[in-house]
Amino acid sequence: MNEDMLLEYEDIEKSFFGVRVLSKVSFALRKGHILGLVGENGAGKSTLVNILGGVISSDAGHIRFQGREYTAASPADAFRQGIGFIHQELNLFTNLDVAENIFIAGFPVRRIACIPWIDARAMRARAEELLGSVGLAIPCDTLVERLSQGERQLVEIAKALRLSARLIILDEPTTSLTARESERLFALMKELQGRGISMIFISHNLGDVFRLCDDIVVLRDGLVVDAGPVERFSENRVISLMVGRSLDHYYPPRATVPDEEVLLEVSGLSHPGIVEDISLTLRRGEVLGVSGLMGAGRSELARILFGLDPYTRGEISVKGLRMPSGPSRAAIRSGMAFLTENRREEGLLMEASVADNIALVCLPSFTRTPSGLVDSASLKREVSGAASKLRIRSSSLDRQKVRTLSGGNQQKVVLAKWLLSGPSVFILDEPTRGIDVGAKHEIYKIINDLAGRGAGVLLISSEIEELMGMCDRILVMSAGEITACVERPEYDRERILRFALGRKPV
Amino acid sequence: MNPQVEMNRWKRLVVSDYWVLYLSIACFLVLFPFTPRLASIENIRNIFSNMLPLLVVAIGETIVLITGGIDLSVTSVIGLSSVIGASIMSSDQGLLAGNPAAAAAGVAGMILAGVFVGWLNGIAVTRLRMPPFIATLTSMMFFGGLAVWLTQSRPIYDLPARFIELGQGAWLWLPNSLAVAGVTAVFAHVLLSRSLLGRWIYAVGTNPRTSLISGVPVNRVVTFAYAASGGCAAVASVLYTARLETGSPVLGQRILLDVIGATVIGGTSLFGGKGNALWTVFGVSFICLIDNSLNMLGLSYFVVTMVKGGIILFAALVDAARSRILAG
Amino acid sequence: MIRQGDRLLAFLLRNATAFLFVAAFLAFGVQAPAFLEPANLLNILLQSSSAAITATGMTFVLLAGGIDLSVGSIMFVSAALAGKVVLGGGSLALVIPIVLAVGIACGAINALFTTRLRIQPFIATLAALYMWRGLGLWITRTRAMNLPESLLQVGTARPLGIPAPIFIFCAVLASAHLVLARTPVGRQIYAIGNDREAADKAGIASGRVIAIVYMLSGLCAALGGLVSVAQLGAVSPTFGNQREFAAIAAAVLGGTSLFGGRGRVFPGTVLGAVLIQTVENGLVIVNANPYVYPLIMSAIIFVAVFTDSARHARLSRLSRRYIRPWQAAAHRVETANSGEEGKQ
Repeated sequence: MNEDMLLEYEDIEKSFFGVRVLSKVSFALRKGHILGLVGENGAGKSTLVNILGGVISSDAGHIRFQGREYTAASPADAFRQGIGFIHQELNLFTNLDVAENIFIAGFPVRRIACIPWIDARAMRARAEELLGSVGLAIPCDTLVERLSQGERQLVEIAKALRLSARLIILDEPTTSLTARESERLFALMKELQGRGISMIFISHNLGDVFRLCDDIVVLRDGLVVDAGPVERFSENRVISLMVGRSLDHYYPPRATVPDEEVLLEVSGLSHPGIVEDISLTLRRGEVLGVSGLMGAGRSELARILFGLDPYTRGEISVKGLRMPSGPSRAAIRSGMAFLTENRREEGLLMEASVADNIALVCLPSFTRTPSGLVDSASLKREVSGAASKLRIRSSSLDRQKVRTLSGGNQQKVVLAKWLLSGPSVFILDEPTRGIDVGAKHEIYKIINDLAGRGAGVLLISSEIEELMGMCDRILVMSAGEITACVERPEYDRERILRFALGRKPV
Repeated sequence: MNPQVEMNRWKRLVVSDYWVLYLSIACFLVLFPFTPRLASIENIRNIFSNMLPLLVVAIGETIVLITGGIDLSVTSVIGLSSVIGASIMSSDQGLLAGNPAAAAAGVAGMILAGVFVGWLNGIAVTRLRMPPFIATLTSMMFFGGLAVWLTQSRPIYDLPARFIELGQGAWLWLPNSLAVAGVTAVFAHVLLSRSLLGRWIYAVGTNPRTSLISGVPVNRVVTFAYAASGGCAAVASVLYTARLETGSPVLGQRILLDVIGATVIGGTSLFGGKGNALWTVFGVSFICLIDNSLNMLGLSYFVVTMVKGGIILFAALVDAARSRILAG
Repeated sequence: MIRQGDRLLAFLLRNATAFLFVAAFLAFGVQAPAFLEPANLLNILLQSSSAAITATGMTFVLLAGGIDLSVGSIMFVSAALAGKVVLGGGSLALVIPIVLAVGIACGAINALFTTRLRIQPFIATLAALYMWRGLGLWITRTRAMNLPESLLQVGTARPLGIPAPIFIFCAVLASAHLVLARTPVGRQIYAIGNDREAADKAGIASGRVIAIVYMLSGLCAALGGLVSVAQLGAVSPTFGNQREFAAIAAAVLGGTSLFGGRGRVFPGTVLGAVLIQTVENGLVIVNANPYVYPLIMSAIIFVAVFTDSARHARLSRLSRRYIRPWQAAAHRVETANSGEEGKQ
């Protein structure tokens, strides 16, 4: 047994509902090292660390931590054994103050009359000390709801340090941070490393991974495809390992070219604190990409375009007609469709049947007047037509709940739902997030098909390769503004990334 | 016999749409030998006269529950409607005393009052973003109080015969009250299962965010549900008032928990998105049957109360089990 | 920039109950000077003590994000049991522990339904409402009971010169406040009400904490029932009916959020309970039509709930993510100024 190893995974396996998510995963983490865990969405990164953090248990295999066999029955159990877990969504209680958040599961107490009272003085003193060690200079009785995202992230780390953690897992910690806050976090990570604390760092930003990490583990479809010291890798190599095939054949070619007719025109769209002076045109038959880092305002822009969020200045017109501001019904009537980034909570009725989901948008056009009754027969025909056209694999459209479908099929249900309303402008926000490679390919074909039949597609994605493979032009957003419009001949990953980092004030 | 098959049969029974009906029939069969009077014409009529107004209220409640809300104000609507209707048509002190159209105007006034209160509830829930539970609780207190205040807690007598006919009379062999409840139930059933609005009601209850993005006018749908519930409570008020021949502000005050209990026993979920009118018909029959037969068995009020509590718990447990079976 | 009007509105919303309180005092004081006499003020406190005790228990449940509809029935069980024991010749020293134990037991069963059987609190306590009332009816044989002098002592005794109901009320209040503000469980209740899932992840034994919350609610309801029966001197079959709604109203009026995680017993819930009683007492003194009471009460509660909802909507709007934080700075300042005071 190697003395330097803090953590060893040995043949860890995990399945959900019969689908293998991790198969025979083995790797090791050295004491005081930072390990970068990379892979596409759905590659199994979260599952891997959730096992470690006690959120779920593995089906088979062993984990050794600090030289001993390790299992965690619960997050609290993992924490007691020296593993701190910083989730993507922060687990802080906004109604409590910073010190209380740090000690919520284990307050320092003094017993008076057999009742455990919180030893406020000890708690404050220790909290100040922990805040100091993460470089956060705020009074520890500040309510968490008053803190910025970056400050909250640091509070989470202080919380992880409460019981001398040997290993800290950071799952996409920078997604909602400003550039400056990210820098502060990275500096802290380096400092913690200096104190001998190991870390597992999950990030989609390969630049950050290469800057911070000593080792890299690449996951694809639940398998470790490569692991080793960072020097052995280059960004390109990591990307091709993650994707698993050369990009050339990955994106299906499109036969048609964009038309001149403008379908969607946006000029000078602004809302304070959200987006600033956005102008764009989307033509018939065009796939227009929107790139940008997390939190650049892409989804926010999409929501405003679809009438879900307000805007203060600017104009949106569809096919030359100015779109009235207001609820999404107006947008739907003017021929827009919106696939949101949050499939589970905004895209689907998870507990309803596949057919009910597909029918949802087009229902009014299948309603007889004046009775208000739905023409179920022809609706059913249309629904099953759309389902078979998109090759939705379902045992029964009427009975199977959408919840039980795979991610790719779920996404196709959302697309089918919009197709039936016959829109001309599609806003697709991360349409391939969290779905497997095969289904991705099918979604790409559907997008090409839409454009081929004269629709305009606004494709929002975090994966630059996806945009380069699919789009006629790519708009790059940074900090709520459009910083560039890149034409196909100028496509270059680095160039786009530079624009995406763009005007973020540091 | 193969235990596996046996278990599947049980599972199938529990997840069936009709399982509460089966349960009611089973109860009836078990209890019948002990109290043969249970099946007497007189008793069945008695069960029906208790059941029908309750059913009408419960159907309105079902619609609200499917949208993911709850309406506690139904009992107050019954009292308020009763008072308003009676003060329009009473031949003693009514606004339209003696007028031949008094009965019709009274009924119209009652229904309008119910729909109006429901509409206010809907506005409170959608526009003012108040939690349904507390919004309708406040309106229960307010409109209940209003009904008492309007009459200074005195019942109003001398209702026109044509109105009383509505609750007590019969058309050929079909009792009017049964016709009213039946029409309400069928109407609600068609609305929920066949109409655009019905589809929207389920969608909103399943996931309001998805529904909004998909173009469902969420606020209007929810407001409609509360207005419909108010309207149903008013219809029930017509039945109760006509049966008692009295306009009373405290009419129906004790049925609130029965209404919610019956709806939930039927299988309508408090989480929204699940339920239907038919289930509610079964749920109401079940609770009325239990109520009646326990009384006939000579069991005291406290046993009846406790059994009702136990049934609600049982229904909640079965509901959880059903979801598990359907999911697994 | 923040408009002056917005801030004023926020300030009014935040202190709505306090303003209502002052307004009620001024209105009744001007109308009827008798209202402001110390004897009457003491009377208000006496009359509100039972409701305040029950509402304190309810506050615990609401803070944890639950609801307890069974408190009215638990009050009935407790009163019925107290009456039965005293009529059977038991002493007061015997009554109090029995009643409290039964309250805790009822609460524990509610907790069992919600935590172990995973039934929604609303439905579980609705069922419990029926069952405890049935139990109470069984104890009383569905008849009204008149109680002997010895039980009335709870209502008339004056330990340390303070009338016993007020004494109990203050003791409950002080311990509830301390538990919520100063003990780990108290702070964990707030955490669970804020985000149950996060609480589980953070390693809080949520099930245990929620069980404690329902037991405390049962305990307070039992105590409230005891105080009330001692003041009334009789138990009727409708004793405690709909008191769960009064308790919820008092808590919400005192600023406890139905969305969980926000509110406090002192001054919050106490203020709410006393306000309700003040208005009722004032209406009696100015000889108002008694049928107007519920109208006024529900209007006041409406204001309180509306305030809570407006505040909640406002908070979720403000917690929205800003892409361009430097532009959002103005909004943030506004948050800080009109910020919420969830902590004790």
